[in-house]
Amino acid sequence: MQGMVSVRNLVKTFVSKEETVTALNNVTLSTPPNRILTLLGPSGCGKTTLLRCIAGLESPDSGEISIGDEVVWSKAQGISLPPERRGIGMVFQSYAIWPHMTVFGNVAYPLEIRGIPKSEIEERVKNILELVQLSGFENRLATKLSGGQQQRVALARALVAEPKVILFDEPLSNLDAKLRESTRQELRDFLTELAISAIYVTHDQVEALTISDDIAIMRGGVIVERGTPQDIYLRSNNPFVVDFIGRANFLEATIKGYKDENHAIVSCALGDVVCNAPCDLGIGTKVTIYTRPESFEVVAPSSPPVENEFEGTVTSLLFAGEAHEAEISVGGARVLAKLKFHIPLKKGDKVRLHIDREWCRALDPAEEA
Amino acid sequence: MLERQSSRRIPLVVILIIIVGALTVGPVLMLVIGSFSEGIGAIGTFTTDKYVAAYTDPALPKTLLNTVVFTLGTACFSTILGGLLAYLSVRTDIPFKGLFRILPIVPMMIPHVLFAAAWIALLNPTNGMLNLFLRNLFGLSSGPFNIYSLGGMIFLEGMLDLPVTYLVISPAMYSFDTTLEEASRVSGASNLYTLRRVTLPILKPAFLATFTLAIIRSLAAFAVPSMVGMPGRIHVLTTHIYRIISIGWSPDYGRAAAIGLIVLAASIILVYLYRHLISESSQYVTVTGKGYRPTVVELGRARRPLFILCIVLFCFLVVIPMVTLVYMSFLPYSMVPSARAFSMMNLRNWRTVLANSVITRALKNSAFLAVIGATLGILLSVFVAYVIVKVKSRGSALLESLSFLSFSFPGMIIGVGFMWFLVKTPLYATIWGLLVAYVGTYLPYGVRPLRSAFMQIDEELEESARVFGASFLRALKDIIVPLLAPGVVSAWILMACMFIRELSVSVVLSRPGTEVLTVEIMKLANDGLWGQVAALGIIMIGLSTVLVIVASLMRVPLSQTEQ
Repeated sequence: MQGMVSVRNLVKTFVSKEETVTALNNVTLSTPPNRILTLLGPSGCGKTTLLRCIAGLESPDSGEISIGDEVVWSKAQGISLPPERRGIGMVFQSYAIWPHMTVFGNVAYPLEIRGIPKSEIEERVKNILELVQLSGFENRLATKLSGGQQQRVALARALVAEPKVILFDEPLSNLDAKLRESTRQELRDFLTELAISAIYVTHDQVEALTISDDIAIMRGGVIVERGTPQDIYLRSNNPFVVDFIGRANFLEATIKGYKDENHAIVSCALGDVVCNAPCDLGIGTKVTIYTRPESFEVVAPSSPPVENEFEGTVTSLLFAGEAHEAEISVGGARVLAKLKFHIPLKKGDKVRLHIDREWCRALDPAEEA
Repeated sequence: MLERQSSRRIPLVVILIIIVGALTVGPVLMLVIGSFSEGIGAIGTFTTDKYVAAYTDPALPKTLLNTVVFTLGTACFSTILGGLLAYLSVRTDIPFKGLFRILPIVPMMIPHVLFAAAWIALLNPTNGMLNLFLRNLFGLSSGPFNIYSLGGMIFLEGMLDLPVTYLVISPAMYSFDTTLEEASRVSGASNLYTLRRVTLPILKPAFLATFTLAIIRSLAAFAVPSMVGMPGRIHVLTTHIYRIISIGWSPDYGRAAAIGLIVLAASIILVYLYRHLISESSQYVTVTGKGYRPTVVELGRARRPLFILCIVLFCFLVVIPMVTLVYMSFLPYSMVPSARAFSMMNLRNWRTVLANSVITRALKNSAFLAVIGATLGILLSVFVAYVIVKVKSRGSALLESLSFLSFSFPGMIIGVGFMWFLVKTPLYATIWGLLVAYVGTYLPYGVRPLRSAFMQIDEELEESARVFGASFLRALKDIIVPLLAPGVVSAWILMACMFIRELSVSVVLSRPGTEVLTVEIMKLANDGLWGQVAALGIIMIGLSTVLVIVASLMRVPLSQTEQ
């Protein structure tokens, strides 16, 4: 399917005197319309470079980029549209609010360039400022606003000319933690309501999980995994992705047999455990399995034993408000478990835990961590 | 304990306020008193005659007009070129960026008098070497260029102000957030539209500040107006004042003071404006410390011609004047380079200069002023800077404003002020009088780098030494002094260099017996003795170059150049 933004075989290297960095290594990606795609990865993974190539602020070395039905950059066809002709909107990390203009001036700018009549500009700026809850701020100097307000000016400016796609370059990273959380929610609601295609760059995993319809995880100029937030967090088999997103317990294990085509019985420090594993791994294969700390449940000592239960000792305990973060020693390994706060626990307690077979997964041994 | 410490410091603040006040407010006050006095021997006998005489002078309107054209022309020329150079070096892929790093220290090496002298030797209408060459080449009856013109003055002064304008605009270019331009591009604006609507408006305060500074400097300029303007009978305010006090049978310091006061007032207002613009400019600084590399503008086909332009400017500024000076110093008279010219080269100019007792005395005096003057000046600056940074009181705030006051004083005018200030003291017409005037005039150039050096020494560094058992003096010796030393050395070298090339104060105060190098060079140039000017000039450049090399060997930063 032709996506809203399609990137094919994109390569970009930065050459300096000291070194050559491959920022994008043959990246192919396409985004469905009216969805929010997040590019997530550690710094230096190429996500910002990819976004800037799409915006036209950076020139790739080879490959092709199209937005909507239009090819905006192509090595083979010799096409290179400048940023102003790509019909995009963009919100920058620094907001890039023009300090010499008012809020109105900033937001009206994209419309003025398009030669839209004055009365219509006023109308549209008024509407968009209402939408981002900045009515009445029209004549303020934009730089005199708070960080959150500047961020909304930047958003209004990016939206006002009704772009085909809107690009976000770490737009929340300059807000303080509390504001970032509420803005995240607002932005998500706002974008879904307007049904806008967006590409969103961040290095903050929580931000990525909460805001996106789709996440592409990048590493070393390559997209290593693509999926919904749930897929990425709960069902990834990629060791890098599992380690990068959230916290995980990794355990060495050996496959002893198969329950069905997706579930293997492995032996590990927790004993024999049923876990999600691809069926092409033969019996006796060494694998790494992982569990998320919050997927453990405490089982009452009196209840009859079922699959995937084990007993361990609490070796350290941290009360983190919403939950206990308990380190449990079991079979020579230590696992981190987030346990419900109302369960009375203290150091040295024996505790019986259960984990669902779906939340216990084998990593793909072909991928490197 | 704290109470006692601060109460012990009060006398130091008071003493410093008295010294700095005397050095900065003193001459201004005396300038005002002098302007209402009948003459240098009759201070205090009130009269308004000098104002009447000064402001009814029929030559004044023309002088004012010349001054306006000269300062505005210079400011335009140097701001545009300085802005261009700053843009090219900061934002583009122009080759050999190292070249631009030399630019700020150029004025430390080549004093204004010598720069002017070299260009006069090349472009004067009668025997300028370039003019002679072109005349022979095209069979012209007269040389095509006349440096003794307003255009010539603007060219020379503009080139001399170029390093300064470059230095003031560069930081604004560095701190310019390039995403502001990118935001405009993705909003649909072309490169050119972005330049017009975003880039230039945001840089406007910085450009205006630079422009203002160039006006302040050219208003105070003396070397170029006296050496280039006076032979062409183009007088500006500084040379007008100079004529009042140096030409004719009785120098009229009262009339000079009466004119000088409006120049001083204009300069103070402009400095105020400059500060305002600089602070406005820094409000536009929106760089957020984001790790993304700022985009380098690719010049493409324009790269080569722009680079050639830079090379040409660099040649105009450094190479041509230097080569001309060296060449001339070996020649008996001005000649276009030829086999004959090279065969006639000898060391006569050098011998003549060094055999001249007045000139050797001037050499000694200049060296004395540079070494002793800079030492005393920096000593005072260290105390002043210490009080400004470490003692927070109304007294230290007053001291701070006093010590930066002379930033806005044109040297020539303050020289006249010092004339009035010193005339009743035993320092009058002595080398120590010159020294006092130098220190008073150039104090901000010592205080400013030392103030930032002190600011960089965090209170806690000293406090932690005390906590770990060091006494106050021990902490001073182990912590403060080593951290401060590079700043002190660099400020000393900067000040010594400024004293070696000092002209506009000296030209008022220098007397037989207290001659200094620059004034003697100017006199030799006025007599057309280009060979001797060149020989003496090279000696002078040698002196400051040694200082600059010492500084770079000690790795002290010399970026705190005159702004």
